[in-house]
Amino acid sequence: MRDADEKGAPHPPSSDFGEARAAALLIDMQNVVTEKPEALDGAGKRVIIRTIGMKKVYRKKDQVTQALRGVDVEIYTGEFISVMGPSGSGKSTFFNMIGALDSPSEGRVFIDEVDVAQLTAEELAFLRCRKIGYIFQSYNLIQYMTALENVTTPMAFGGVPDDEARKRGMEILGQVGLRDRWFHRPIEMSGGQQQRVAIARSLANQPAILLCDEPTANLDHHTGQEILDILQKLNKERGVTIICATHDHRMMNVCDRLMWIRDGSIERIARRDEVHVELAGID
Amino acid sequence: MKHIDVQQQPVLSFGRTFKIALRGVQYRLFRALVTVAVIAVAMAFLMNILSESLFKRVVAVAVRDEIRAMRQADHWIARLSVPQTAEEIVAVLAAAEPDSETFREMAVFGGLDETALPSAAALAVKAQAYLKFFDDINYGRRRVLIGNATGVEIFERLQNEAAQTRFFESLTLMRAVRFVTTPDAFREFLRAWPGLSGTLTAVRAGQQRAIGNIQQAQEGRTVMEALSGAEGPFGEAVRQAGFVLDPGEAVSLAKQIRLAEHRHFIEDSINNPEVRKAVAARKDVLPGDVSLDMIWKLLGRPATAAWYEGQLAQHASPPPGLDAARLHEVARTRARSKLMVRAELMTMGTGGGFMNIGPRMTWLAFVSMLVCTVGIANAMLMSVTERFREIATLKCLGALDGFIMTVFLIEAAILGLVGGLAGTLIGLVLGLGRMLAVFQSLLIELFPGGLLLQAAGISIVTGIALAAVAAAYPSMRAARLAPMEAMRIE
Ligand SMILES: Nc1ncnc2c1ncn2[C@@H]1O[C@H](COP(=O)(O)OP(=O)(O)OP(=O)(O)O)[C@@H](O)[C@H]1O
Ligand SMILES: [Mg+2]
Repeated sequence: MRDADEKGAPHPPSSDFGEARAAALLIDMQNVVTEKPEALDGAGKRVIIRTIGMKKVYRKKDQVTQALRGVDVEIYTGEFISVMGPSGSGKSTFFNMIGALDSPSEGRVFIDEVDVAQLTAEELAFLRCRKIGYIFQSYNLIQYMTALENVTTPMAFGGVPDDEARKRGMEILGQVGLRDRWFHRPIEMSGGQQQRVAIARSLANQPAILLCDEPTANLDHHTGQEILDILQKLNKERGVTIICATHDHRMMNVCDRLMWIRDGSIERIARRDEVHVELAGID
Repeated sequence: MKHIDVQQQPVLSFGRTFKIALRGVQYRLFRALVTVAVIAVAMAFLMNILSESLFKRVVAVAVRDEIRAMRQADHWIARLSVPQTAEEIVAVLAAAEPDSETFREMAVFGGLDETALPSAAALAVKAQAYLKFFDDINYGRRRVLIGNATGVEIFERLQNEAAQTRFFESLTLMRAVRFVTTPDAFREFLRAWPGLSGTLTAVRAGQQRAIGNIQQAQEGRTVMEALSGAEGPFGEAVRQAGFVLDPGEAVSLAKQIRLAEHRHFIEDSINNPEVRKAVAARKDVLPGDVSLDMIWKLLGRPATAAWYEGQLAQHASPPPGLDAARLHEVARTRARSKLMVRAELMTMGTGGGFMNIGPRMTWLAFVSMLVCTVGIANAMLMSVTERFREIATLKCLGALDGFIMTVFLIEAAILGLVGGLAGTLIGLVLGLGRMLAVFQSLLIELFPGGLLLQAAGISIVTGIALAAVAAAYPSMRAARLAPMEAMRIE
């Protein structure tokens, strides 16, 4: 497998990471997301994710943790929403539920009006592979695969031929500034580099929904900003719905709505302009 | 209009699945090697048992015929010297095929006609079964049942009304003893016994007469001496007397007898003081320390055999035909028959069971497989459980349950194949080594290549199957979990 990859290797490391690459990535997306983002405040808002009374209880022997205590939320197509909340408030749990990675203890999750609980194993796999991109808080890279293989694995599952997958994988790695690191294993990379591989992997199949659990947590200010630029462009120009857990205050500048979770419940959901008014008021 | 239309996920090609599985094995090479070692040990054990048993089996088959030929001489010397015992005749009659040579021989000796013989044989079968019963029960019980009578004497004694009553009474008291047939059947047999007894006596008398007739043809020689001419007029006389001696058998019999004669002459030559002195001088030992082994060793090489021929010619009077080449040949045949006897001892109790390796070995192989299954299952279970996180991640990326299972089955098959190959080789080499030490040249002569290949195939396939079965359950469980559930399992 390594031998085959080497053919795609000798690209020079690119230094101009940012605008240009974000634009390149968006061109890739053209085939997939055909619909333009809609106005959020108009009457034509379409719900892409809806939860009804969603609860999650973790049970371990006699120890019971209420991670989510009944969450009702609607997320609209093409929206960029930031999820904020203190550590342990249930953000990751919320992500797992709306990403069809775990089943709620109670309540229901609809992704584009389809009840996730009704899907077969194959349909769930399709959904996770093509329609949703995940960036995990703990990256969850496959340890025995190179950066490139990590990125191309979802493409393989999606039926993309090897050669094309490698080509696209290299492009996406280039966009996160890791083109010259494609042959490294996760263990040979820094935390930030691993995080960028995880981001690249989430974009592999040009998903319609992107779930990002602290995508900028381990990145320096500059790189973090570039990741935010990529996310914003994906959202604005291609209408990818982005749900982003974060403690990063810069996120406020790019998101449409903000959502606060505390103790497993939604404390507040507000539009960015409302929040800005408040912040201005405080200032 | 739906933004997300849910479809079926395509199945990943086998080639790509295989590559991913192979990468996983390479990454965890050390753990993989441990698993391989477990499988290899298990398969080495199985292959060792199989190969040794197969070697023994082919040797046993080959040895049986050669041993029978070797003992042919003793058999005929005994037959032509004294009549068979009644028990021996019963055994022959019970075992003989109708219409066989032995059957006809019995008919001639006993003066029986065509119709009398089958009924006598049928009775002999029953008699044989009853005799076996009395042979098998313990001494105390036997004593109570039939006193000190042995063999066919038992049936004679039970002709007595009182003895018979006592026998059946004692038998009913012995609840733990299972008699061969119902008492009534035995009673009926006892009523018929005098008829068979008469036949036996007639056969023995016939044999006695035949032996008497042969004595004239012996012309004063011993039976053994006369048999060295078995392919000639003496053999004809034996046939005339009523014994069934096939001409082909007569030729090999004569050869055996001459060989035995020459062997006796050589063994006797050690008692010749001059020969002994010469050997002592050559071997640089005292004449008293010269042993038969030394002489056989001398004869084992053509050059020294020639030297020994010279000594014999000088100091003893060797029989005609006992030249250097013959001396050497006798020594070689003797070595071979020693090997045969050892092989016969070593191969007792083979046959039956799986691949004819004998029921004991089959059981041993089965138990070892059971133990190894547990070992392999444990190794595979560990290798799957420590990868739950990886499984979960793959599922998050859109892997199908089938893909996860296939990866683990492929991995198990790779480990099973490597372990099976290594183990089979080790087991074969060990088995071959041990059996070579025992059977020496005999083994190379009879090398059961095809059977060994078959056994190797069985071992390797067993290795793969065990590993795959052991991996199937945990990987199926892991594959069916929701991704995050799998990730939570430690
Ligand atoms: N597998 C689990 N078993 C038991 N409890 C769990 C498990 N995962 C999470 N929890 C609990 O559920 C609650 C919510 O956890 P979650 O990981 O969703 O928090 P979070 O908001 O993502 O925190 P952070 O910002 O630190 O990532 C916590 O109290 C945590 O202890
Ligand atoms: Mg979290």
